Amino acid sequence: MTVTSRSGERLTPDQVRSIAFPQARFGHRGFDEEHVRAFCALVERELVTLLNEKASLWEEVERLRRRFIDAGDSPGARPEDAHIQAVRILSNAQQMADRYVADAQQYSRQLTQEARRHRNEVLAEAKTHADRVLDDAHSRASRAAEVAATEPGPAANGEWRDRTAELAYLRTFSEVYRTHLRAYLETLLSNVEDWEQSEQSSLAEARAELPFPFPPVPPSPARGESPSPARGQSAPPAPGTGPLASPPHTSPPSYSSPSPARLP
Amino acid sequence: MAMHGDAVPLFFYSDLFLRHPETRDLFPVSMAAQRDRLVHALARVVAGAHHLDSLTGYLQDLGREHRKFGAITDHYPAVGASLLTTLAHFNGRAWTPELAADWKAAYELVAQVMIEAAAEDARRRPACWDATVIAHELRRFDIATFRVAITQPMPYLPGQSVSMEAPERPRVWRLYSMANAPRDDLTMDFHVRMIDGGVLSMVLTRGLAVGSRLRIGAPVGTLTYQPGSGRDVLLVAGSTGLAPLKAIAEQISWLRDPPQVHLLFGARTADGLYDLADLEKIAAGRPWLTVVPAVSHEPDFPGERGMVHEVLARSANWREHDVYASGPTPMVEATVNQLTALGVPPGQIHVEDFGWSEP
Repeated sequence: MTVTSRSGERLTPDQVRSIAFPQARFGHRGFDEEHVRAFCALVERELVTLLNEKASLWEEVERLRRRFIDAGDSPGARPEDAHIQAVRILSNAQQMADRYVADAQQYSRQLTQEARRHRNEVLAEAKTHADRVLDDAHSRASRAAEVAATEPGPAANGEWRDRTAELAYLRTFSEVYRTHLRAYLETLLSNVEDWEQSEQSSLAEARAELPFPFPPVPPSPARGESPSPARGQSAPPAPGTGPLASPPHTSPPSYSSPSPARLP
Repeated sequence: MAMHGDAVPLFFYSDLFLRHPETRDLFPVSMAAQRDRLVHALARVVAGAHHLDSLTGYLQDLGREHRKFGAITDHYPAVGASLLTTLAHFNGRAWTPELAADWKAAYELVAQVMIEAAAEDARRRPACWDATVIAHELRRFDIATFRVAITQPMPYLPGQSVSMEAPERPRVWRLYSMANAPRDDLTMDFHVRMIDGGVLSMVLTRGLAVGSRLRIGAPVGTLTYQPGSGRDVLLVAGSTGLAPLKAIAEQISWLRDPPQVHLLFGARTADGLYDLADLEKIAAGRPWLTVVPAVSHEPDFPGERGMVHEVLARSANWREHDVYASGPTPMVEATVNQLTALGVPPGQIHVEDFGWSEP
């Protein structure tokens, strides 16, 4: 069964009894944490609802009891009752607001997690692809170098052979690399074209759906006329006065120091 | 009372807001976390009633902390009245005039301690500091560093933290450590990593620009450098837990005869070592400082590989070091356990756990 449930739907004892959590991803022990957490949240929500229902039933009993005792004293509602009722209305509204905020947070958490996972996948894939391209170029270039070295040349001295092999290697390597790069750029270009097309068609659809035509677009100011203070382009902050202080980087830090320090 | 669970604080706040609508503005939109906090604070007070000394310290902290929320002396009687109404409501016929008098007296005592601590604090410093962002840099898609300028001086110790509020998320306060020792120009640096679904961290990483305004509370925290031991220092940082340790390293650099300092900076992947370039620049002219990056989830990283506690165990003897660790709770716990197992006396290990879980 799924453990996600739309807010408003109630959790039943049967659901709790028959809950089956999927196993965690490879490399992790136990149940899938996300599902367990979601289920706990559901149980918590149910418990809170039950407790609140219980409290309001209890209030109702008290109110009826008081009315019973006070019967005959005054026929109209007492001011305390009105206040209690206002408290109840405000409490319900607050709980609704809390739930909206919690749902929005949950949604944003899921979106970010998904985006992060997707990013890692894309990066890993790109890295594998890049490694493959390099391997391919290297192996083909090596083969070309071998062939060049064994071919009978005009002067069969060692240095000449080495140079010929090196030349063949480099020529093949750059050729393979160029081919891959061209294919990659073509894919990118076709992606951009697809994007352009889908944007144009969706814009056309949107215009068609509008009850009145778009107002004319006001002429945009010439570029550079009013430079908006873009992030990172403002005057650099006053440097700190501490001996270690250095202003935040203005260029992306490089992590490719050849040999990072190691512990003793 | 515990039986009614969330219904009690829910009733309490609704009653308070109906009687004193102006108090609603002191709280965030979602009150769920706030209700839990109230219940915990009440439980702490009731449980501590027999140990007045420790309870007094707790209430004084609470009184001082409430200044930045905009709580003023006038609010305390209003809160007391709503608390009594709530207790009377949920205790039904068990609520007697004697019980009511006892609770009233107890609350007044609590309120008095809080009000006095707040008033004493108000003589020394403002309730909060207005800060303006003067530099903001996204170092990775989810990690940013930024610098703010404040207008009034704020004395603090390197390694301490402040709670922070952004106008985009009113009344939501989260703790962040200063990444520098106090400066004469009243600027402070912060490092922030976006927590998935994090209310404030999202704003601080991706929503700030030069000119953005923030509010900052009084400095808190005990992860501060203890000089004078004569021992060398090991700083263990995980991700943006680096910030307080960078401040401590800066403080050590002022010493005439600084001890040897090893700064172990760990992340899952190399792009998580968001401040390494700056750290290496700082270490370049300082032979006493060694910066060691470590990466746990990238097999072809050229430096140390593994979780920071694994890297620690592989190398020198740390028994004669003072250790300061900061980062995600599991990382700090693993580091403390590892160092203890390696024979580092607990008194030499300094950590601070604010709980990194941002709701």
